[in-house]
Amino acid sequence: MTHLPYIAGAYGLFALVASWLGLDARLRLHRTERRLRAVDPRARERATDFRAQDRAQDRA
Amino acid sequence: MTRKHRRLLIVLACGAGLSTATALALGAFRSTIVFFMTPADIAEQHPPVGRTIRLGGMVEAGSLRRTTEDGQPVATFKVTDGRDAIDVSYTGILPDLFREGQGVVAMGELRPDHVFVADEVLAKHDEKYMPKDVAEALKKRGYWRHGQESQPVDLSAAPTETSAR
Amino acid sequence: MDAGTLATTPRSGRGLHRFANPGRFLRLASRVQPFLTWPGLALLLIGLYAGLFIAPPDYQQHDAMRIMYVHVPAAILAETGYWALAAASLVSLVWRHPLADLAAKEIGPVGAGCALLCLASGSLWGKPMWGAWWVWDARLTSVLVLFFLYIGHILVIRAFDDPERGYRAAAILALIGAIDLPIIKYSVVWWNTLHQPASLTLTGSPTIAWPMLWPLLLCIVGASLCFGAVVTARLRAAVMERRIATLLRAQAEQAG
Repeated sequence: MTHLPYIAGAYGLFALVASWLGLDARLRLHRTERRLRAVDPRARERATDFRAQDRAQDRA
Repeated sequence: MTRKHRRLLIVLACGAGLSTATALALGAFRSTIVFFMTPADIAEQHPPVGRTIRLGGMVEAGSLRRTTEDGQPVATFKVTDGRDAIDVSYTGILPDLFREGQGVVAMGELRPDHVFVADEVLAKHDEKYMPKDVAEALKKRGYWRHGQESQPVDLSAAPTETSAR
Repeated sequence: MDAGTLATTPRSGRGLHRFANPGRFLRLASRVQPFLTWPGLALLLIGLYAGLFIAPPDYQQHDAMRIMYVHVPAAILAETGYWALAAASLVSLVWRHPLADLAAKEIGPVGAGCALLCLASGSLWGKPMWGAWWVWDARLTSVLVLFFLYIGHILVIRAFDDPERGYRAAAILALIGAIDLPIIKYSVVWWNTLHQPASLTLTGSPTIAWPMLWPLLLCIVGASLCFGAVVTARLRAAVMERRIATLLRAQAEQAG
């Protein structure tokens, strides 16, 4: 492969930035979900059955 | 009129004002924003001898001569835009993509004898990407622009910056 | 006023404000999330792999053209991300939509990452192809300005003690900066630049041969889905962080 250092640099940088953004978002989401469950008791019940929740919302 | 409408109107009015101001400013600074001058621009505007400018265009097919001077590679070639052509002389190593028929941008100054002495030569790539076998097949079938060594004809409706002139 | 309802008990609304309801947004977003994340990652990885190992080298640039599989998606997303940022800022300024404030805050860093990648990968392509890491032509300069706009937005939106003032100031900055977007797009048309004109346009057929094009399209679609996934995840976290802060404040008030 010609120009290998340049290609490796570009792909490497991409992997670095993309994985940092992705991992940061994922970890932050999980951390926040845990904290919310600890603070808000209702959040625990709400974890599943989205349709029923939306129906309940629309009735309210 | 609600407050939302008023806010929207204010934002739109500011946007219109800002766009107009920017358009005027960009128009006024046009000659500074342009990255290079073509040989035709130079023929029209006669930039003073000795001022550093950038010259852009195609390397004329068959015009490239390579020699050595004091152990340094020297290249002379013509840069053309299809209308005018200027002789360029450059001491140093040319970039990978430098070819006859390809675009280049050279930075340097015009000597009194109308030879452009370049300190830096950059290759300008076009927007076409194709594998080697496709390029060769195009060449074999004659779909290659006349008189230019390595420049394929438009594969599409999109005009290139050089054919637009 | 619709603002400030974000942390209170959700109530159903009409039109746009249906989604101002944080509970509804969280449920919708958590359902959409897997459809962004997994197809996005799969397409992006396939596209990048195909770009490196399956696409044939260019007849002139040889293998250096493979840098475009990183550069083009990053450039498209840096620009599209700023459109989204400007749209969120408009909604935030005019309609005072609380979710738009948070969206603007969360899009900023992701877009800045894309702009940085676009500049860096472009530079890594420019050195072997043009013969220069950087030139001050209209395209490169306007993309650098875009990167600085992102950085400015990130700093301004976090700079105030009162977050509302930060949202206003950052939204104004983002909308003023939006003038750079058409300049970037048309810089290669309006002025002569060292950067080549667009290969992919909505109107004309692409000037990239098919064996090189399909990995690029996979990369663009995959990276866009990933961008959406990251922003959605960040936005969900931001909405929940806000709710946590409100709940804690309410508990502290009850206790005190």
